[in-house]
Amino acid sequence: MGQQILNAIFIGSIYALFAVGYTLVFGVLDILNLAHSAVFTLGAAVTYTLVVNHGQSFWLACVLGIVVAALMGLVIEYVCLRPLRRRRAPPIAALISTIGLALIIIAAIEQGRPGTLFAWLWVDGANPVTMPPGTFPNPTWHVAGLTLEATKLAVIPISIALMLVLGYVMRYTQVGRGLRAVAENPRAARLMGVDVDRMIALTLIISSALGGLAGILFGVALGDISPYIGRDSVEVRGLAVIVLGGMGSIPGAVLGGYLLGLIEVLAVVLLGSNVRAGVAFAALFLMLVLRPQGFFGAQLRERI
Amino acid sequence: MKRTRLISVLVAAIVAAACGSTGGGGGTSGNSYAGKTIKLGAILSITGAGGVYGPQSRDGMNLAVDQINKGGGVNGAQITLTVSDDASLQTQSAQVAQTMIQSDQDLALLGPTLSNSAVAVHPLAENQKTPILAVSTTGINIVPNCNFPSTVACRYVFRDSLGEETAIPDNIQSYANDAHPSTGVLLVAQDDKFSSDGGKIVEATVAKYNINLLKTIKFNKAEADLSPYVTTAVGLHPDVIFITSLGGIPAKIMIEARKQGWQGQFLGGNGFNTATVSKNAGAAGMGARSASAWYLGNSFPSNADFVTAFKTAFGHDPDQFAAQGYTAIKILADAARRANLTFSDLPGDRDKLRAAMETVNIQSPLGPFQFTSTHDVKQTVWVIKMDGAGGFTLVHEIKAS
Repeated sequence: MGQQILNAIFIGSIYALFAVGYTLVFGVLDILNLAHSAVFTLGAAVTYTLVVNHGQSFWLACVLGIVVAALMGLVIEYVCLRPLRRRRAPPIAALISTIGLALIIIAAIEQGRPGTLFAWLWVDGANPVTMPPGTFPNPTWHVAGLTLEATKLAVIPISIALMLVLGYVMRYTQVGRGLRAVAENPRAARLMGVDVDRMIALTLIISSALGGLAGILFGVALGDISPYIGRDSVEVRGLAVIVLGGMGSIPGAVLGGYLLGLIEVLAVVLLGSNVRAGVAFAALFLMLVLRPQGFFGAQLRERI
Repeated sequence: MKRTRLISVLVAAIVAAACGSTGGGGGTSGNSYAGKTIKLGAILSITGAGGVYGPQSRDGMNLAVDQINKGGGVNGAQITLTVSDDASLQTQSAQVAQTMIQSDQDLALLGPTLSNSAVAVHPLAENQKTPILAVSTTGINIVPNCNFPSTVACRYVFRDSLGEETAIPDNIQSYANDAHPSTGVLLVAQDDKFSSDGGKIVEATVAKYNINLLKTIKFNKAEADLSPYVTTAVGLHPDVIFITSLGGIPAKIMIEARKQGWQGQFLGGNGFNTATVSKNAGAAGMGARSASAWYLGNSFPSNADFVTAFKTAFGHDPDQFAAQGYTAIKILADAARRANLTFSDLPGDRDKLRAAMETVNIQSPLGPFQFTSTHDVKQTVWVIKMDGAGGFTLVHEIKAS
């Protein structure tokens, strides 16, 4: 059981880190950025390609992977969101435009094969790949019947530390106050001298950097990098997590991430493997019936 | 004089007819083929879950087409092959097949890559009386009963891939004879036909070899993390873990189980049989066994030529899926050569091709190739194991019975 709890905390950390980026954009813009899972994939794919195909060091590749993910956040803002915002398009239009960008990003990665236009980005097509052994130190210890793997253990404090830093930034810094002001009322924020467009761009950068990092940690720790890791592994779950935690709430996303991880693992242990997804989403449904606003959604105006 | 001329003309006509009837090396008129095009369409999973296998099939097919066309074609007719990606989606697969049959007017189809898509595509081809040759579908009820649960045999559906109903029992028998395991756990993806069929076959086979199946652990392919399932499996301390799943999943399970300290034997099906799985599993996959339709070092005469040509063309070794794709084109070319095609009556030509496919008898990288009476493959089975470095080594050769 101890091993299963560790499994739950690990995957919960990934869910939480991914969902924090998801919910940050919703909190500020009131729209769902469905390109977030593609950014998750992009971070992992770029890091892998830099290491394996361009000979870069693992640590540099991780940094560049996060930078590329953050820049993709800017692309989301300038291509998918800002033009629609200027035209006062409804939120559903932005949702569709981000789905479109996600499909383009994934298609570009899966077309990446030797000799193709996207070979600089990815050369393995639809194939799942793993980082070559020895790329990064990954000792494994067996203690008291538990298997402790360095990469998975590292994911937990990294995720928690980043979420705490984000929480601090949002609450106690000028940037955080600006973001919260935009979330509260963009027009009032603008009248108070806040550069709203700049704040929104910054939101997308932070959100996408977190999404890219979550993808890197996932790909490295689970040895699974492919064009589909975002879509298959975290997209729907991330959405579930932010609903569970309360739309737009960062503490809610963190709690929701760990809770979903725990529910999924306990479903396997206690009820049988074939009902895992069903149990997890039944719990989510129950939660929504009892508390539609999620854990931290009571005061919607105080989100993020 | 007139009479002599008439006799001369008659003799010339008879000689010409006789030459025509034996021309082209296969009992058809060479002249009717010259300058014509034999249009084939392949529905393959280049992207999505089956993207691990589809590109290999495509490369094998393209190599065979290139060789045949450069060698003068099929009685002088050139083959054109259109490969369309079905993205591993059943609906897209059926749409592509419909287009190839009705709009493109292809003579015959190949594929699709996944059994899950075949259940939609094969009945469609059967209904449209278009020959279709499966090159990688290994699930249950692919041939002959493509319209399962109907038991009426499909006439236009063929398969050159080794069904899991043969491969998995052969593999289990082979390992049981070698190591006499007593317990096993099955990890099976429950949300695709190929994987779940494989799981059913494992469950139906193990008792025959005195292996007690401790637990069947089902999961979905789109799981973020398979560790909870692996932890459950390893906690039961089985001698064998059976894995029936697609794409990168077998490798992920192997890596996780080894990390958790489990030292037993992995046994699987066709899902193991590509270099991507072996490479991703790395040292964790060392010794993992499966039964394969093909083995890189097999001693069939046409295999060495195929391997050399493939490596020259693509810069890496072929795998089972490339060999099956390559063989499929050779099968269709052989059948077309003997089918006495008209190139003016597509339904008639499709029917002639279907009939000729039933009597195919060629040498291929898979060995001497013939279809059974149920349009399935009859061939040698190779039990192979992963070498820990992205390749496979031979364990046993099981001759076709």
